[in-house]
Amino acid sequence: MNVKFLNPFLDAIHEVLKTETGIDTSKGDLKLEKGPYTTDDITVIIALVGGVEGMVFYSLTKETSICLVSKMMGEEITEFNSLAQSGIAELGNVITGRASVKLSQAGYESTISPPTLVIGKGSQVSTLDCPRLIIPLSSNVGTITVHLALRDGINQGQKTAQIPVPAKPVI
Amino acid sequence: MDVKFLNPFLDSAAEVLKKEIQLEITRGPINVQTSALTTDDVTVLINLVGQIQGVVLYELSEATALGFVSRMMGQKFNEFDNLAQSGIAELGNVISGKATVALSKSGLDSTISPPTMIIGKGTKISTINFPRIVVTIQTDLGNVTVHLAIKESPPDGKNINFVPLIQEAVSTKQ
Repeated sequence: MNVKFLNPFLDAIHEVLKTETGIDTSKGDLKLEKGPYTTDDITVIIALVGGVEGMVFYSLTKETSICLVSKMMGEEITEFNSLAQSGIAELGNVITGRASVKLSQAGYESTISPPTLVIGKGSQVSTLDCPRLIIPLSSNVGTITVHLALRDGINQGQKTAQIPVPAKPVI
Repeated sequence: MDVKFLNPFLDSAAEVLKKEIQLEITRGPINVQTSALTTDDVTVLINLVGQIQGVVLYELSEATALGFVSRMMGQKFNEFDNLAQSGIAELGNVISGKATVALSKSGLDSTISPPTMIIGKGTKISTINFPRIVVTIQTDLGNVTVHLAIKESPPDGKNINFVPLIQEAVSTKQ
């Protein structure tokens, strides 16, 4: 994981949360982790492909997501229904999209995937050999934890093998 | 979601499982789901980006996963450890990679993301407004369920907002 990918995300999160929800965030201590990540209530997963490749997770509690979506939509939402789900996924999408624009200004062209939402506490999500940079962002509606498992893209379009698979299995 | 994306993935899965694990597969029933899926023990998630975009999920039980890696690496695995995890993720990576090669031959170029693995039964995964085509692949070592939530990108290739509802909500408020 390369720290140069960090600032575009921090700026994007700050800007998007400020404009969409009016919430200020402050950055906590950064951590680098290699093991799997144990999920919180809600995780938004978005992949980047291109000059930068890897995964971005936004992890937050149900309460925080409901608060964020309520502020974003300007109406009180009480349960994490499908509208709230698509709102949170969209927030992840907008943040990642803006970060990828900033990355491309820094010379790293990349494309983002549609968001996927993982709902449920206590599952393990592993990015395998790609270590994750963890950024806790605290706000007055709770903490949003951002996980960046990014690396320089190997040639565009070329597949990166995680481990070499033996051509002929030895049995 | 278009059914024409299905066959490249099934062909590729059949080919890869045959080559790496010497497994013959039979195709189970196909259905379309729009609600969130509830995970089995192990889920490999791979995103596609390009002229087609979306996400592919491979879902299997831990026993099946261990059976696969044991055969693939030629040694007995009793625990779903790091090596086993990266083996299963790699399998998903190879199957998806091969499928995208077949898709690009039919004129739809795409790039796949590195695999992500979700371990833990009963978590919900939602692909939001993407309906998923769900196929069960049956093998002697257990079943693999493949979920395809893929669609063609708009022709300009620009990033679009996949859930356009926020802007609408904001603009109606103002």
